[in-house]
Amino acid sequence: MKVELTDITKEFTSLRGRVVALDDISIKIDEGEFFVLLGPSGCGKSTLLNLIAGLEKPTAGRIQFDDKVVADTDRRIFLTPKERNVAFVFQSYALYPHLDVFENIAFPLRIARIEKAEIKKAVEQAAATLEITDLLAVRPAELSGGQRQRVAIARAIVRKPNVFLLDEPLSNLDARLRIAMRAEIKNLQDKLGITTVYVTHDQVEAMGLGDRIAVLNRGKIEQIGTPESLYEKPAGIFVAQFIGSPPMNIIDASIIKADGKLCVVLGNQKLVIPSEKIREIEGLKENHFILGLRPEHITINPPDNAQMLTATIHSVESLGRETAVYLDVDGLAITALCDREGMGKGRQVRVRIHLDKMHIFKGER
Amino acid sequence: MSENTVRNWLVLAGIVFCLAFCLFPFIYMLVISLSTRADFLSQRASFKFTLDNFNAVLTDGSLHFPDYLRNSFLISLASAFFCVVIASLAAYAITRLQFPGRMSLLFFALAVSMFPQIGLVGYLFKFMTRLGWINTYQALVLPYTAWILPLSLWILVSYFSQIPRELDKAALVDGCTYRQILCKVILPVAAPGVLSVFLLSFIFAFNEFMFALMLTTDYRARTVPVGIALFQGLHGQTPWGNIMAASVVTTLPIVILTLVFQRHIMAGLTRGAVKG
Repeated sequence: MKVELTDITKEFTSLRGRVVALDDISIKIDEGEFFVLLGPSGCGKSTLLNLIAGLEKPTAGRIQFDDKVVADTDRRIFLTPKERNVAFVFQSYALYPHLDVFENIAFPLRIARIEKAEIKKAVEQAAATLEITDLLAVRPAELSGGQRQRVAIARAIVRKPNVFLLDEPLSNLDARLRIAMRAEIKNLQDKLGITTVYVTHDQVEAMGLGDRIAVLNRGKIEQIGTPESLYEKPAGIFVAQFIGSPPMNIIDASIIKADGKLCVVLGNQKLVIPSEKIREIEGLKENHFILGLRPEHITINPPDNAQMLTATIHSVESLGRETAVYLDVDGLAITALCDREGMGKGRQVRVRIHLDKMHIFKGER
Repeated sequence: MSENTVRNWLVLAGIVFCLAFCLFPFIYMLVISLSTRADFLSQRASFKFTLDNFNAVLTDGSLHFPDYLRNSFLISLASAFFCVVIASLAAYAITRLQFPGRMSLLFFALAVSMFPQIGLVGYLFKFMTRLGWINTYQALVLPYTAWILPLSLWILVSYFSQIPRELDKAALVDGCTYRQILCKVILPVAAPGVLSVFLLSFIFAFNEFMFALMLTTDYRARTVPVGIALFQGLHGQTPWGNIMAASVVTTLPIVILTLVFQRHIMAGLTRGAVKG
């Protein structure tokens, strides 16, 4: 089932007055796609999911499932979640505490008044898929977080929904379980082929799961694209800093001409701009810009003798496989990723900046 | 004696004193109901055990005590039932729907419940006379329901507001209508609260005196508290034995209810105070 959102706006009236939660959002989600809504808390991603589910009404705009209009403010159409046949998995799992696991999974089928024998078959099949067959007689209170999550997912898939919606389903799990469940959700979605919309604030989760990701900020879409394209070609500073860990360095830089060559000034030091980036730099109207550089594109004490900056190591943080080194270049804070050796705090180092990998952003920070 | 034993003895003495202080009227009631003479204490008459009082209260048709008991049970059950139904619908609306003045509605209900009963009784009497309801069950069920409703509402609102909203959303996605959400999710999840509201309403209605005194005239609708108060002997003397036996019979079901469900009742009463 394709999901198409057109010019969706959602406003809330609160004590502070009108708050625009979503501002003119348009997204097309393909059949069977795993689509991730990513953004910081309060960016409107959960509201967007609620709108798709039919739990909230849009202030303006249209939502279509394939050719069927499920919400349209102009034509005053609004279908309930039941009529849309969506399934929803909540962060808190939202299992019914008074029912055992079997009845929890069977609940949507019971409401739909499906035959008993058929319910039993469907529940057992869903339970087998999620490997919770031995838990069917247990009440939710006796389950661990991971088991609850499985029950919630089983309840969602049991009635073969058109669209599968997940609202930060892994946020309440511990780190190890989260990674295991992440892989499992991905496999399940591959197997079932149901169009899935997944909300998260965790960019690692989004990158690992999504066929495509929409990055939201303050009710607006910053960028929609595959995980690779978001990483390689961020459309703006927000996406650049939000995707990737440690985040991209964002530095105010200015351009000068020295010895007939265009140079970037970082602190009190200057670097010649490599030929690949000259055209982009020349396209800038002003002589300063915002330079984005991923930490892995900075090398400390390289063996060769290309152009260098000198920097002081401010602090060092081990990430296990790699080490994040926080550098001070004439007062500019820059993060680099490198190997562990020889990274003493306070030490003076030579730093190679791979300017051919830099991102150039216009405007203000 | 060590300091610990002294402390234990003091605590024990305190407990015994408090218990005796609280329970003395009940013990007195029980003893007199089982005694041949009500004044055995003052006249140094010896205590003689008898079940005559109970026998008279339960079987003597002219005392009408079984009638009172039946009236009380039916009226209290009906009041408690209506209270739970109305209060749960109202609490669901107040906690789940966005409409202006939800909080003022709650506080208005609280204010209404502070009205002194005596201030209402004159009006109620006129009202019920007009309706021709004096000395009927509905004459009591109606004001009882209204009188207990604010408390029931407050308890249920505090219960319902603790049920996470996501449960409603999940039920909605699973295909429930709003009525189904209330019946299949909210009420079962809040079952302890609903039960405690039912019991509290029942006990309140069962103990009520003033309305019952004014709005009933004889055994056809008179409730136990009024019935006992109006017990009269043949020559105008007060039949203490019968009164005490009737009181014991009346107190028993309440005591049993409270003992069995005390945990629920306590949770229901303190819920709003601690949380929400």
